Amino acid sequence: MIDLQTVNANVFRVPFFRFLNFEVQSLDSLHAVAEMTFETRHIGNPVMDHYHGGIIASFMEATAAIAVHPDFTEVPAKPINLTVDYLRPGVKGPLYARANVTRKGRRIASVSVNSWQTDQEKTIAEGLYHFLLV
Amino acid sequence: MADISKEKMEQIAQMWNARGKGLITHMALEIEEVSSDGVRVRMPFNPDFCVDKDQTLLHGGILTALLDSVFGLANFVAIEKVSTMATLDLRVDYLRAARSRADVIVNAHCFRQTRHIAFNAGSIWFDGHEEAEIARGTASFALTRGDVSMFEAMTKGKAS
Repeated sequence: MIDLQTVNANVFRVPFFRFLNFEVQSLDSLHAVAEMTFETRHIGNPVMDHYHGGIIASFMEATAAIAVHPDFTEVPAKPINLTVDYLRPGVKGPLYARANVTRKGRRIASVSVNSWQTDQEKTIAEGLYHFLLV
Repeated sequence: MADISKEKMEQIAQMWNARGKGLITHMALEIEEVSSDGVRVRMPFNPDFCVDKDQTLLHGGILTALLDSVFGLANFVAIEKVSTMATLDLRVDYLRAARSRADVIVNAHCFRQTRHIAFNAGSIWFDGHEEAEIARGTASFALTRGDVSMFEAMTKGKAS
């Protein structure tokens, strides 16, 4: 299994992942957990300083892609589509995502992702992501 | 549905451009067309949104963020007296690899509104390649209605 330091070095090489500014915290063959730092450029609602929904979806997609293919060299795993449910606003502060690979076949992977802030029980958003492995 | 007044369109453009911070500002979105039938917005190429070393392949997430933003704009325009709006859910299909340094064009509209919910659809292509859509999305939004619209509340603050 690839070590965290190498994964985070890979993450840092991706321009959009630097834009998101997150770090992978733990990883095994079917899961990845990552933490994203709040940035002004992530704001969707400038009055309330909430995260933009698209940033939350992007961060969950990035975490899912790493769970599917942590040792990518050129580009992260190829996304096919996604659905996201937004359950609570994402407020100023760190955001966490946990991706679980529910099925990884030869061609397609399905990944479910959860995100939270201070309380892991209080989900901010959850999503289902498909990736093409060929 | 009637086209909205030029004045309202200018106010909307001003409001978007005057946000001053956040992702929409960072995306440098330019409104190309606005009517209650739908909106068309341009996102200039930005290397920060790419996944590859050569910076020619956009990350899917930025396309999702673009759809979410422009659905919000379409709802602003199409729906009267919305005081708050929150994305309930979002589905995006990535139809082909988003490899280009061209500007991105997004078209979005609200195809149904009820008292509490708005339903949206939109698609994305690279400027000049409308026949080759790169992504398509649908979303639903939870609305709360009030006497002071979110649009009025935000533009009034910028009046002076």
